[in-house]
Amino acid sequence: MLRDITLGQYYQTESVIHRMDPRVKLGGTLLFIISLFFFKNFLGYAIAALFLAVVIKLSGVPFKFMVRGMKTIILLLMITVVFNLFLTPGTPLVSFWKLTITIEGAKLAASMAIRLTLLIIGSSLMTLTTTPNNLTDGMEKMLRPLRIIKVPVHEVAMMMSIALRFIPILLEETDKIMKAQIARGADFESGNIFKRAKALVPLLVPLFISAFRRANDLAMAMEARCYRGGEGRTKMKPLKYKKRDYIAYLCILVYMVGSIFVGRLSF
Amino acid sequence: MGIIKTEDLTFEYIRRDEEGNVEGITTAVDAVSLDIKQGQFIAILGHNGSGKSTLAKHMNAILYPTEGTIWVDGMDTTEEKSLWDIRQTAGMVFQNPDNQIIGQVVEEDVGFGPENMGVPTKEIWERVEESLRAVGMYEFRKYSPNKLSGGQKQRVSIAGVLAMHPKCIVLDEPTAMLDPNGRKEVIRAIRGLNQVEGVTVILITHYMEEIIHADKVFVMDNGKIAMEGTPREIFSQVERLKELRLDVPQVTLLAHELKKRGVRLPNGILTTEELVAALGL
Amino acid sequence: MSMIIDHVNYIYEPGTPHARKALSDICLQIPDGQFVGIIGHTGSGKSTLMQHLNGLIRATEGHIYFNGEDIYDDDYDMKKLRSKVGLVFQYPEHQLFEVDVFSDVCFGPKNLGLDKRETELRAFDALRKVGFPENLFYQSPFELSGGQKRRAAIAGVLAMKPDILILDEPTAGLDPKGRDEILGQIKKLQQETGMTILLVSHSMEDVAEYVDRIIVMNRGSIMYDDTPANVFAHYRELEEVGLAAPQVTYIMHKLREKGLPVDAGATTIEEATEEILRALR
Repeated sequence: MLRDITLGQYYQTESVIHRMDPRVKLGGTLLFIISLFFFKNFLGYAIAALFLAVVIKLSGVPFKFMVRGMKTIILLLMITVVFNLFLTPGTPLVSFWKLTITIEGAKLAASMAIRLTLLIIGSSLMTLTTTPNNLTDGMEKMLRPLRIIKVPVHEVAMMMSIALRFIPILLEETDKIMKAQIARGADFESGNIFKRAKALVPLLVPLFISAFRRANDLAMAMEARCYRGGEGRTKMKPLKYKKRDYIAYLCILVYMVGSIFVGRLSF
Repeated sequence: MGIIKTEDLTFEYIRRDEEGNVEGITTAVDAVSLDIKQGQFIAILGHNGSGKSTLAKHMNAILYPTEGTIWVDGMDTTEEKSLWDIRQTAGMVFQNPDNQIIGQVVEEDVGFGPENMGVPTKEIWERVEESLRAVGMYEFRKYSPNKLSGGQKQRVSIAGVLAMHPKCIVLDEPTAMLDPNGRKEVIRAIRGLNQVEGVTVILITHYMEEIIHADKVFVMDNGKIAMEGTPREIFSQVERLKELRLDVPQVTLLAHELKKRGVRLPNGILTTEELVAALGL
Repeated sequence: MSMIIDHVNYIYEPGTPHARKALSDICLQIPDGQFVGIIGHTGSGKSTLMQHLNGLIRATEGHIYFNGEDIYDDDYDMKKLRSKVGLVFQYPEHQLFEVDVFSDVCFGPKNLGLDKRETELRAFDALRKVGFPENLFYQSPFELSGGQKRRAAIAGVLAMKPDILILDEPTAGLDPKGRDEILGQIKKLQQETGMTILLVSHSMEDVAEYVDRIIVMNRGSIMYDDTPANVFAHYRELEEVGLAAPQVTYIMHKLREKGLPVDAGATTIEEATEEILRALR
């Protein structure tokens, strides 16, 4: 069930996009999303789609794989489209029963659908081509200036990467405890909400205890390996811009200027 | 003075009931004095609750003695200024392989210690490579730890400590949660470190087969050192070990039983070959 | 009253790129009252097979009959099966959750819908059968020693009064004495109640002393299914798949090779002692 969600899952392969500095990908994704909100005509979206298509091609992630991940959010997309389609006032296009579709509504719904699709594909491309670790590293480095206003950037990044490491372990543990309690006759599946919530106690208590024990062990192991916060730490894999990253920034810049210029033309 | 020396090391903790009232005081380690020489392979044996893990945690300055003193490479662990030097000198490997791997990729985990110590990037890579090779995990450097077996995870943990270039490694029951194959892998890696790299090893365990190659064995009971000697000296006292909730390898036990029944055999037989030879075959 | 496993196959995540055959064509018959050891290294399929027996995992192919009824029949009562086939997982103390040991042991029988009196009688009986000390009945399970926690957790399954008790590595992480105590208690339980016991382990030494029959699993199939002596006679083949016979088997073979006329089939220290004494005379 959980593993059906390919949205945002890292896709292992070799490509220019994979090798790119995570800061370029983070920044680029952000700029791409911003650009989508500037367009006033469909030509802008066409340019954005073209740009995205080129990047996807470069990334080596099969388009099919990305679409499979989209399935889960198609419902959300449909709702947005339907709302915009029927609830926008303006010149009636067609009307039946009590519903009226206006020209403005149709335009808005179409641009909304395109915008959301591009936004989701664009941002999932980032996570598909960047390991979680790389991503936290990128965020840590990008947000470093925030330390001046006392934001614990290093600590937050460390917490994120530890969480990512332990999620699969805790999921496995949940499965094991659940089975052990089912073997003792526990029933997690029937009864009303109140009864089901109560049935979770034999699962949650051991799970919390285990999580605390692991946290305790891990803290001890980290201290034993001389961990004392971000100060004075060096990096095994420091982030360093390479030529391709500057080229990528340039491409993004060209895209931004070009697409927004074209996208805001009125015919 | 050896690499690790303790003098009347005592550790007490206060037990409290639910309201926080003092119920009593437990002495987990009771006046232990020992001196471990650089380059030795030391085994500390004892049943669960004998105080062996508590003693081990003193060697890495995770716990501090209530009374007495412990020196790691001449540094008193209670002196705050030498804390990080101590942790660098005496590395520690723990029991649960899952709860001590921090990185999401094997090589990144091994690099964690050196990163904390502020080692320059280029040297981190060198250290990671040599440590992973020393434990035979170099081919797995790009793997996620979740994809490894228990024995492999423990070897990664050992590499993680090794990359800090310690003089001494303390292993707190590193094999307790492993299957027999994993146990063998880890013990082989540990022996390699001791013999090839010359690292002092302090192995805490309750598996008897693992201590046969130790230079010296300490047996703990009730927070005290109950027995000390070479593996042969220790294994020759089968009855005493049983009293201490421990057992001996099957060949030693068999020789002991035969001896009790009148067969003339020396004490403390450790291997099948020795038994065969002692029976005059 | 017996368990029949009829051509059971199990595939992990069928239809995905991760698909993997975990069990292939398993056929077994487990008569009442037997003490069976199931051996195999990590990933051999032994734990997967055990979870089939109480319906936690459903076979991809094949049938399982309990007392003559197919447990995959649509109207089969799985809940009843789970009460009749008790499964103690590895590190079972991780499932403890109640405020005191006694309430925790009551969890199973309470889920069966028994009244308070019967529930408590069963809990009391189960705790007594595993040798759990009475003065600790109302202690929090989290404050017990490792060995006591393990007993409490086993009692939690035993209180369901199963006909078959499956234990997955019940001695993992315990010290030698703790291991012998738990195994001894299980043997006693089997003798007193005539319960069928399936003991999953990766230690031949542990199993050899207690069981009537050993099933060796390797890569999802049954490799051997025979008496301990007959299984250990294949010690060379066992080694090839990363398992090993008890040390005593190797000793006996070695002695024989060196010219001592012993029967190499001894599986325990007692048997070996007698056999060597006989040969020496």
